[in-house]
Amino acid sequence: MSTEPALMSLVAVAKAIASKEVSSREVTRACLHRIAEWQPRLNAFMAIEAEAALAAADAADAALAKGNARGPLHGVPLAHKDMYYDAGKVVTCGSLIRRDFVATTTSTALQRLKDAGTIRLGSLQMVEFAYGPTGHNAHYGAVRNPWNVDHITGGSSSGSGSAVAARLTFAALGSDTGGSIRMPAHFCGVTGLKTTVGRVSRAGAMPLSQSLDTVGPLAQSAEDCALLLGLMAGADPEDPTASALPVPDYMAATKGSMKGLRIGVPTAFYVDDLDGEVARVLDETMATLKKEGAEIVKVELPDQRQLTSACQLVLATEAAAFHKRWMIERPQDYGAQVLMRLQNGLAIPAVSYLEAMRWRGPALAAYLAAVAGTDAVLVPVGPVPAPTIAESDVGNSPNAEAVIQRLTRFTRPVNYLGLPSLAIPCGFTRSGLPVGMQLIGRSFDEAMLLRIGAAFQRATDYHQRVPKAA
Amino acid sequence: MTKPSPKEVKAMTDVAGVPATPEIAERIANSIGPAFEGFAPVAGTLPFDLEPASFLLVQTAKVSI
Repeated sequence: MSTEPALMSLVAVAKAIASKEVSSREVTRACLHRIAEWQPRLNAFMAIEAEAALAAADAADAALAKGNARGPLHGVPLAHKDMYYDAGKVVTCGSLIRRDFVATTTSTALQRLKDAGTIRLGSLQMVEFAYGPTGHNAHYGAVRNPWNVDHITGGSSSGSGSAVAARLTFAALGSDTGGSIRMPAHFCGVTGLKTTVGRVSRAGAMPLSQSLDTVGPLAQSAEDCALLLGLMAGADPEDPTASALPVPDYMAATKGSMKGLRIGVPTAFYVDDLDGEVARVLDETMATLKKEGAEIVKVELPDQRQLTSACQLVLATEAAAFHKRWMIERPQDYGAQVLMRLQNGLAIPAVSYLEAMRWRGPALAAYLAAVAGTDAVLVPVGPVPAPTIAESDVGNSPNAEAVIQRLTRFTRPVNYLGLPSLAIPCGFTRSGLPVGMQLIGRSFDEAMLLRIGAAFQRATDYHQRVPKAA
Repeated sequence: MTKPSPKEVKAMTDVAGVPATPEIAERIANSIGPAFEGFAPVAGTLPFDLEPASFLLVQTAKVSI
């Protein structure tokens, strides 16, 4: 059978269903066909709910025939990281501890997508409790990169990155506390949006760090991310930390050009210790941005290593506090690496944690002053393309934390400052692995990032390339 | 701020109610040591009146610190 509908973008397939060019059933069947083909190699899905998805697709088609479209994503099948509570469904959080946990509520982000008409394909794999950047999972196995199944996807939204890249779902929710959306976007060649802390409600999303957790999408394009963010963002009575700031028209923002925009490029830290191919792609990306009318300007940022360290102090402490009860009662049910990282948080004095929290305001102010006069800052997501599964399987070895810190050194400053960042595919290595870049914006200015990202994607085709089944 | 020694880590995990063996305490000390070293230039330098929620004010551009 043809799987062509599964290759469409989210925006395109939503329009095609709405105009009855294609039915929700045809689209859902195409996705399920690709899932059946790819899942044995990728391990991207935690659960596949084929019959329920087809029944929901039929119901969506019947409703549309009667003129009852639910919303802008009517009949679009999606799957999400298995940490978003969906009432009545098992939500494993990638863990053994929650293997049989049935949610009694539905997360606000997920509910808003359901209200827009989406239907559920199943759930996606993830790193245990979203605590790790590689995509390894001691209980459910590593998720594999569709561009080369010997390589990691990145994490912790490992299934989201893998499934979107292989076109098994049109988009997927991820979460980003230390780089968990941007890392899989970079390694898997998809577009990922880490939102400003507070932009999207976290109600019903598994917590890792209350100060740093963010909800965001992975999708084919900036335009797809804009559509999803517009549906999910905004105040939520279930989450008092969700901002009541107005939600801009993100789709309108994607129509803008780059002409006259100033994009900052740091002179230090983000250019240190870069793999040669990542450096080449960074140079090519800057050339494309210039060609499209943007001005590239050098920026000198405050010491980013201090931000990375502060991020680690906050994340480790808050994660340990969330998990303390299970660390006492069920330590044997954690994977070795995740338990090891949770234990780290036990040894951070309260005063050190609070100092790291108190410094957030001045650190953000200093960053914003350094980038004044620019519309966004361009940096790599990671220093290297996707490593192999074998070389990154460090478990709880003595050097594990060092390996993890090296992978995430370019993503953590953004988490500490709570800023938005859009990861976009910008090129490929000679061996065919994707390379992504991140555009970092001001607080609550996702619209600017989506504008630049969409303009870049109109000028390039990296986001449209699809890995081939072996 | 100096990084905690394995002995100090052991004491902290005991107080936290999740005791670590000496081997685990040594591993924890080595794992989190770089974070303490990286934050050392900031630690102990913050002004008295700095309220943690100033982050929210900067985020919405209401103050510049």
